[in-house]
Amino acid sequence: MSTLDIRRPAPAFAVSQDLVRLAYRLLAAGLICLALSLTTDAFLSFANIINVLRQASLLFFMASGLTLVILTGGLDLSIGANIALSACLAATVMKATGSPWLGGLVGLGTGTLVGLVNGVLVTSLRIPAFIATYGTMWIIHGLTYYYMAGETIHGFPPEFRALGSGYLWGVPVPVFLMVVFLAIGSIFTQRTTYGQQIYAIGANPVAAHLSGIPVMKRLVLVYAISGAMAGLASLVFLARLNSAEGDIGDSLTLPAIAAALIGGASLFGGVGTVSGTLIGALILTLVLNGMNILGVSANWQPLVTGAIVIFAVWIDIKTGGRSSEKA
Amino acid sequence: MSDMAVSARSFRLATVPGVAVVLVALLLVFAIAAPGFTSLPNLSNVLMQSTILLMLALPMTLIIMTEGLDLSIGAVLTLASVVLALVVVSTGSMLLGLGAGLAVGVAFGVVNGGLVAHLGIPPFVATLGTLGAAQGLALIVSDGQSVVGIPREVRMIYSGTFGGIPIPVIIAIVVYLAFHGLLYHTRFGTYIPALGGNREALKLAGIRDTRVLVAVYALGGFMAGLAALLLTARMSSGHPTAALGMEFDAIAAVAVGGTSFERGNGWLFGTLLGVLAVGVLRNGLNLLALPSSVQVACIGVLVILALFIDALRSKP
Amino acid sequence: MTAAFEPAWEPPPMVTPEPTPLLELRGISKTFPGVKALDDVSFAVWPGEVHMLLGENGAGKSSLMKVLCGAYRPDGGAFFHRGQQVEITGPADARRLGIAVIFQEFSLVPYLDIAQNIFLGREFPGRIPGTVDTRRLHAEARRVLDQIGMDIDTRTLVHTLGVAQQQMVEIAKALSQNARILVMDEPTAALSDRETERLFAMVRKLQADGVALVYISHRMAEVFELGDRITVLRDGRKVGSVLPAETNADDLVRLMVGRVVDTTYGRDFCTAPGDVVLDVRGLTAETGITDVNLTVRAGEIVGLCGLVGSGRTEVARAIFGADKVVSGEVRVFGKLRSGGPEQAARSGIALIPESRKTQGLALIRSVGDNLLVSALGRLFPSGVFQPGLARREADDLVQRLRIATPNSRRTVKVLSGGNQQKVVIGKWLAAQAQLFIFDEPTRGIDVGAKAEIFALIDGLVKAGAAVLMISSEQSEIVHVCDRAYVMRAGRVAGELARADLTEENIVRLGMHQ
Repeated sequence: MSTLDIRRPAPAFAVSQDLVRLAYRLLAAGLICLALSLTTDAFLSFANIINVLRQASLLFFMASGLTLVILTGGLDLSIGANIALSACLAATVMKATGSPWLGGLVGLGTGTLVGLVNGVLVTSLRIPAFIATYGTMWIIHGLTYYYMAGETIHGFPPEFRALGSGYLWGVPVPVFLMVVFLAIGSIFTQRTTYGQQIYAIGANPVAAHLSGIPVMKRLVLVYAISGAMAGLASLVFLARLNSAEGDIGDSLTLPAIAAALIGGASLFGGVGTVSGTLIGALILTLVLNGMNILGVSANWQPLVTGAIVIFAVWIDIKTGGRSSEKA
Repeated sequence: MSDMAVSARSFRLATVPGVAVVLVALLLVFAIAAPGFTSLPNLSNVLMQSTILLMLALPMTLIIMTEGLDLSIGAVLTLASVVLALVVVSTGSMLLGLGAGLAVGVAFGVVNGGLVAHLGIPPFVATLGTLGAAQGLALIVSDGQSVVGIPREVRMIYSGTFGGIPIPVIIAIVVYLAFHGLLYHTRFGTYIPALGGNREALKLAGIRDTRVLVAVYALGGFMAGLAALLLTARMSSGHPTAALGMEFDAIAAVAVGGTSFERGNGWLFGTLLGVLAVGVLRNGLNLLALPSSVQVACIGVLVILALFIDALRSKP
Repeated sequence: MTAAFEPAWEPPPMVTPEPTPLLELRGISKTFPGVKALDDVSFAVWPGEVHMLLGENGAGKSSLMKVLCGAYRPDGGAFFHRGQQVEITGPADARRLGIAVIFQEFSLVPYLDIAQNIFLGREFPGRIPGTVDTRRLHAEARRVLDQIGMDIDTRTLVHTLGVAQQQMVEIAKALSQNARILVMDEPTAALSDRETERLFAMVRKLQADGVALVYISHRMAEVFELGDRITVLRDGRKVGSVLPAETNADDLVRLMVGRVVDTTYGRDFCTAPGDVVLDVRGLTAETGITDVNLTVRAGEIVGLCGLVGSGRTEVARAIFGADKVVSGEVRVFGKLRSGGPEQAARSGIALIPESRKTQGLALIRSVGDNLLVSALGRLFPSGVFQPGLARREADDLVQRLRIATPNSRRTVKVLSGGNQQKVVIGKWLAAQAQLFIFDEPTRGIDVGAKAEIFALIDGLVKAGAAVLMISSEQSEIVHVCDRAYVMRAGRVAGELARADLTEENIVRLGMHQ
């Protein structure tokens, strides 16, 4: 029925379109920085910049793994609960053994395992991703609360705490890690065959399947990665807070989704980049930081976050970047 | 191609087992295992606690039937509750308060519907955004504090009885019947499964589909405003985080109740059973002195199980 | 002017109870960029008449239907309703004139019941504003269903109905709008023999009630069983309008396909095929194909034809591992193959699916991305994706296949149908497949590009590949294939060697008896 198609202005150059969108976002982040430096004294201080980057890094760890899931057209609502469980188990092991390495391993392992479970649920039980991961969110959440029973675990070895508050060559460790994982994430998505296949699956899962791509395996992989990144975020978070409670990840899921969406990822799949998500996390953190400096009540934060998400997605729809039509 | 057509009635019976069996099983298990579960006050308590969730889950059913979603409904309920409390406390008039709560709800519903129907923003994103907006506004107008000093007449809405039946239960019954009538006996209700099942057919029939869609979301907001009255009465305050996250309870109840996320396949009575299943589960585990964490995990299992059954059923 | 609009034939008095047709189209033309879909077509239908509309795919039947229901506005020509000139500018006009079209894709809502579907958007108001008078709704629905002899509860949800019953509901919906002219698009395509009989009975009943029917068909038997008049379209033109008594199946087939042999498809047929590449034995799949046997040798183009719904696509999907196989075996280069599409692709099988847009391409991705998606493992065995190498490979394919795109980074969405199809083929060239299964490779592609696609396919077999080609257009099979299998009702009805490969033979073998 090609004659009936209303040809929307389709992006003529796929790659450069990505770059253009990235550039716009960088520009937006830059403008926010400029505005804040001009209107406030506190923004342009070394301490504040470090602070912003540190906050953005945590958001980025979660959102980057999530970005891969979103690229396949899925969603992972369990990352916040996953962080809490991973952090609490890591904290327990660290307390018991005194070994930051063992604790770290447990944290990462727990996160990855939860991700694997999500992946298996989504692929083999044919359950919509957002409901499956929402179910596991509750299960993990309950398990964590049950396990912690309202207790707090605190006081970890200093070499572990360095993960959250230490410096490496003058750069805060979380920020350093953020750069490392930006590189890893970008290389994985742009420079491996896996990344190419992930984009292909998100753009058209049926075509990907009929092109010989092992769709199921790749889906399990991205959920596992999302879980592993939540595990990493849990460790950084734990090191920074120096204490673990059952609810530490609760409020982090929606901002992570927001960061990915602001960064240009489309819930329909196939569109988005890890670097975009980094900029999304930066924009979100910058805005919230700026509001903080300007003395705007923290109560405005959710409202502003919501408005930015809708605006970013709307702009992309308007400019044809994430059209809902695939066929 | 099967020549056998299954009548609507027997088809529905065939789908009952999922949630009904779960509900009956839960009732049996707790009747045996949990002391005091079958006592009248406790059962009445289960019903009372389920009313607010039902008032969100019913419109959520309709929204999901349009292949949509409303993540903002819990936050809108919270905001409406805070606004209602503020108005009631400052004016002393319950009606004015209710009006303000309903207005807030409908306004958010219309915005949700507009974003989805007119701007083409995916329902998940649109309502995620308005979730933030409602949550933020609730904190802003209340300044992060509980609004207290709710007059007795408002509190009676939750704790009072009428003819021996708790008022919330009466409200819930009326609301359920109203939704039943709306979905199965009005033109508007007829168009809801069409929005999710075959929007093209609706357009060909000359119906303005976007209008109906906006109305469905507006109805969700309206119900959040109405539920705010019960919530405020129950808590004797308007708390700015009171019902955050309740959208997920509502989605869970709808999913457990057998409404599918595709093709406009919804079942209102299933949602009622789903709400009751969640309520019974929570209450029973509570009586067994299991912590709320276990309750939460069990609800998660319930949701995945129900969705799994749904997936099996819809297998071509 | 008026001369051009004269009816193309004189209505024979014995089959026309009224002198003026219920609806008459005169000199209808419709042009799309690059295609003349309808060229000066005149057409009339009388009350109580079944007017069969015949033609190959792309002959203009669908366009004519869309013109009739108001979806397309013709560039030229005029409509007459009971002798009065009328305008059809949109679906509402068509409805007012009592024209209803039943497409193959139904406009039914799965989770509404039959009565609600019949009266969707036209519900009877109840006493309370906004409510529906459910009792009247069901009573009226009952009345309409009785009219067509459909004995089923009006409260039945539509998604529980089979295709045949859904079609009945569509017909009921049309009748409830007082349709006097009913257009049906291959209504028996998905029906069993028994269901077909029932449909025929209903068509006759409607006919007796004075409804005019325009009936599009691919099946000779029903043309003669039902038709009062037969119009044949070819390449957007009316090539004949005849009475069933004055013609026979062979004449009609000749009329339908009767163009001069199109030399653009001509090729040197394979005289010495190589080794057996694909060997299918007793293949039975859940999708309804039964005991399918076929072989394809290197250097051969083997056709797989038959009616729509005869199981051709299902055979292709089963070979490729996309559908579950119940029994039988598929050997490729003598090796038994198992597993899904991933394993199929690895063993050198390529599937160029029926629907480019939904099954073949990731439309939002670039030409290059789409070209290399199946070759990632071959080109980058280490898993490291090298954009430079990918670019060179993609550009090379773009050149080799002469894909009309400025560069390989352009999104595939903006390409024409023919160029999109080249991208799908190129995907498997990049993967170095040895067995290509084409499912309707020229669907929706204009004539010039068709020749290019066939040249490409010819190039494949010259290079030693084996090709299995599904096509609904018999002329393509005849002009391109070295041999062909004809399917009927999920089974291979027969094999035609090169010497016997004629359109007449294909039609005969594929026709329901």
